[in-house]
Amino acid sequence: MEWIPPMELDPARAVPAPRVPEPAPPPPPFEAEPDAAMPEAEFIPPVAGPAPRSPLLRWLVGAVALLILVAVGFDTADLMNRAFATSMALGVVVALVAGVAGITTIALLLRELRSLKRLRRIEELRGESRKLSHTMELGRADRFAGALTRLYTDRPDLELDLARLKDVVTDAHDDAEVVRLIDREVLTGLDRRAYQTVLRASRDTALATALSPAALLDIAVVLWRNLRLVREIATLYGARPGYVGSLRLLRRMLGNIAVAGVTESAHHVAVDALGGSLAAAISTRVGQGVINGLLTARIGLAAMHTCRPVPFTPDTRPSLGRIRAELLSLPKQVL
Amino acid sequence: MSFLDSLFDQAGETAGRFLEADVRLGVTGLRRAGKTVFTTAVVDNLLRAGRLPFLDVVASGRFQAARLRPQPDADVPRFAFEEHLATITAAQPDWPEPTTGISQLRLAIRYRPNSALRRTLQSVATVNLDIVDYPGEWLLDLPMLRQSFAEWSALSLELAARSPRDALSVDWRGWLSAIDPAGPDEEEEARRGAALYTEYLHACRRAESFLSIIQPGRFVEPGDLKDAPLLTFCPLPGERRGRGTLWALMESRYEAYKSSVVRRFFAEHFARLNRQVVLIDVLGALNAGVSGLGDMKRALEMSLEPFRHGSSGWLDWLFGSKIDRVLFAATKADHIASSQHPNLKGILDSLVAEARRTIRFEGAQVETMALASLKCTETVVTEHEGRTLRCIQGVPVGRDRPTVLYPGEIPDGADAMTVARNRSYRFMPFRPPADAGRDGRGLPHVRLDQALQFLLGDYLE
Ligand SMILES: Nc1nc2c(ncn2[C@@H]2O[C@H](COP(=O)(O)OP(=O)(O)OP(=O)(O)O)[C@@H](O)[C@H]2O)c(=O)[nH]1
Ligand SMILES: [Mg+2]
Repeated sequence: MEWIPPMELDPARAVPAPRVPEPAPPPPPFEAEPDAAMPEAEFIPPVAGPAPRSPLLRWLVGAVALLILVAVGFDTADLMNRAFATSMALGVVVALVAGVAGITTIALLLRELRSLKRLRRIEELRGESRKLSHTMELGRADRFAGALTRLYTDRPDLELDLARLKDVVTDAHDDAEVVRLIDREVLTGLDRRAYQTVLRASRDTALATALSPAALLDIAVVLWRNLRLVREIATLYGARPGYVGSLRLLRRMLGNIAVAGVTESAHHVAVDALGGSLAAAISTRVGQGVINGLLTARIGLAAMHTCRPVPFTPDTRPSLGRIRAELLSLPKQVL
Repeated sequence: MSFLDSLFDQAGETAGRFLEADVRLGVTGLRRAGKTVFTTAVVDNLLRAGRLPFLDVVASGRFQAARLRPQPDADVPRFAFEEHLATITAAQPDWPEPTTGISQLRLAIRYRPNSALRRTLQSVATVNLDIVDYPGEWLLDLPMLRQSFAEWSALSLELAARSPRDALSVDWRGWLSAIDPAGPDEEEEARRGAALYTEYLHACRRAESFLSIIQPGRFVEPGDLKDAPLLTFCPLPGERRGRGTLWALMESRYEAYKSSVVRRFFAEHFARLNRQVVLIDVLGALNAGVSGLGDMKRALEMSLEPFRHGSSGWLDWLFGSKIDRVLFAATKADHIASSQHPNLKGILDSLVAEARRTIRFEGAQVETMALASLKCTETVVTEHEGRTLRCIQGVPVGRDRPTVLYPGEIPDGADAMTVARNRSYRFMPFRPPADAGRDGRGLPHVRLDQALQFLLGDYLE
C-alpha cells in the first residue's frame, strides 16, 4: 500500500460515509460476486438452495402448460360461440364470466410472482448477512441494511424497531456489527412473535389430535394447521409467500430441517413425548397428540430458520425446550 | 429526582438485598490514556442507557435503572462525575483536567434477572459497580514494590542516560557526578537531588516525544503528599553503602515510600478488583514515533507484570486479587476513520500479546478492542488527487471550525514497531462534540457498550 502523508482537507468537499437507509438498488445476487477476502474455511455453504432442475423437465412443464392454455382458450371460445348462438344475453354473461376468470388469473399470477421475488430477496439477504458477519470491513452492510429496511417499509409493527435501528447504528460500526445490530434491534422481536406462533400452532395440533373422533379428521386438521403456520411465519419475517412460494418454502425447509438441527428422528420424538410423561403412554390418543404437536413445533422452527433474513447464531437459535414442556403438560390438562 | 429515587429505593426494598452483587472495576492506564473520560462516559451511559445496543441487559429490555449511590469507602474523595460531565457538555465543551488525586464512585444498576429460577427468587436484582479514578502516573509505582533501591536506581540511571531522556536529565546527572553517595546524609543535599530529579521527571512529562516511564509517580502527581519528606530521594549510582551515608538515607526513604504510599494505594484500591480494563493510548504513542512507542511498550510491560493473575502473580500473592476478566482497549479510536479500527486493534494486539498470553494462561478471560469513550468525530469520505480517502471530521482543540483530517493510514497485520518506523502520523486532539449528550441518550461513544458487555455482562445476567 502506498503511503499518503497526513494532511488536512477541505470540509466543504467531504461527504459523510453512507449509513442506513440508503437508496441504492437492491444488492445483486450474492453468489455471482467473487470474494477474495473470505477464507475458504470460513465459508458455510448456503442452506439447501432450490434443487437444480433438469432443463428437459422445464421444457416439458412449459409445453404442457402451453397446451392446456391453448386448449382452455379454444374451449372458452367454443363455449362463447355456442352461448351467443343460443341467446345474446347468455353470450354476454358467459363472456363476462370468462373475462373475470382471465383477469383474476393474471392478478393471481402477478401476486405469486411478487411474493416469489420477496422470498428470493430474503434468500439473498441470508447469504449476504452470513458473509458480512465474518468481515470487519465497512460499507457493504449499508446496502444490506438498506435492502432489509425496504423489505420492511410497509410494516407498521416494525416502524419503531427500524427507527431505533437507525438511531443506534453509527458511522463507527463495521459490517459485522451492523448485521448484529439488525439482528438484535429488529429480528429478535420478530423471533419472539414467531416463537409464540409456533407454540400456539403446536398446541392446536396436539389438542386437535387428542380430541378428534376420527383419525382422518385429525390428519386433515394437522396438515392444514401446519401449512398455515408456515405461511404465518413467512409473512412475519416479510416473505408473504403465495401458493407456489409456500410449496417452494416447504421444499427448502425439508432441506433445512436436517441442517438446522431442528429435527431428530421420529424415534427421538416419541422418546421426548413418552419419556417425559407417563400419562402420555397411558392414553395413545393424547400421546399421538403430543407427538403431532412436537412435529408441528419442529416444522415451525424450521420455517423460522428458513425465513429469517439473518441466520440464527448459536445464542439466538430458538429451542424446542419451552414448547416441549408446554406440550408435555398437556396430557395432565386433558386427562 | 426525589420521586425517581424513592421509586428506585422502593423497588430495592421490596426486592430485598440478598441478590445484590458488588463489582469493582479497575480502570487502569498510563497518564493521559483516557481513564477519567472513560469513567465519566461509562457512568453517564449507564445512567441514561440510551446508547448501549450491545449491552445485553439493555438490549433485552431487562435493564430498569441506574443511580449513583454513596460509595463504600468513606475516606476516599468522590469522583467528580457531575463536574467532569458539565465540562464535557458545556456550551464551550472542554476536556477534564488531568487527575491529581484518587477518587471513587459507586453506581447501582437495577435489572431483572434473565434466568427464570433467579426471577422466582427475586424479580429485581442489583449490581453495585465501584470505579476508582487516579492519576495514571501512580500506576508505574507498582513495579517498584518488587525492586530494591539498588535495582531501581540502576534501571532508572540506565534509562536516564539514553536518548531522548539524556538531554532532559543533564542537570540531575551533573549533580550526581558531583556528589558522593557514601558521603554524610545531609538533608540539604538530599533535597537538592530530589528537586533536580523531580524537575527531570516533569521535563519527561512535558517532552515532545511521548514518554511513559516516569517513576516515582508521586514526584509529579504528589496528591496529598506535597513536600513530604517521603518524596525526597532519587536514584543513586553504585552499590549499597553503610549507615549514616547519603545512600542509606535515600534507601530508607525509598523503602518508606514503597511501604506507606505504594503498598497502601494498591492494597486499598487494586486488591479487591474483580474486573480490569487497561486503557492504552496507542495513537498518542504512534504520533511520537518509534521512541514513544518503545517507551510505552516498556511502561506497559512494567505496569502489567504485577497483574499476572492466579497463583504465580505476586500481586495476587500479596493482596489476594481475583480479577477474572481483563480488557485491553486502544482508546481515542475516533482519531481515525472507522475503517481503520481493525488495524488499530491489530497494533494493540501485538503490543499486549505477551501480557495477554500470561493472563490467559492464568485462567482469566482477555479481550482487546478499539474504542472511544467520547466520539468527537465523524467518518467522512473525500476526494484527493483522484483518490477517495476516508477521513475524520471534527473540531480540533484550540480551534472553532471543523476540519477534515487524513491522519495517515495504519497498515493491517503489522507489528507495532514497524508501523511507527518511517511513518509520521498526525492524530490531532479533538474537542468534545458541541451537542454531546443533548439528546438525553448518553454521551456518544465507539464500542463502549461492547466493552461494558465484556466487563459486566455476566454480572447482569
Ligand atoms: N477524541 C477523544 N479524545 C479522548 C478520548 N478520551 C480521552 N481523550 C483525550 O485524552 C485526554 C486525556 O483523557 P483523560 O481521561 O483525562 O486521561 P486520564 O487517563 O484520566 O489522564 P490522567 O488523569 O492524567 O492520568 C483528554 O483530555 C482528551 O483530549 C476519547 O474518547 N476521544
Ligand atoms: Mg484522569
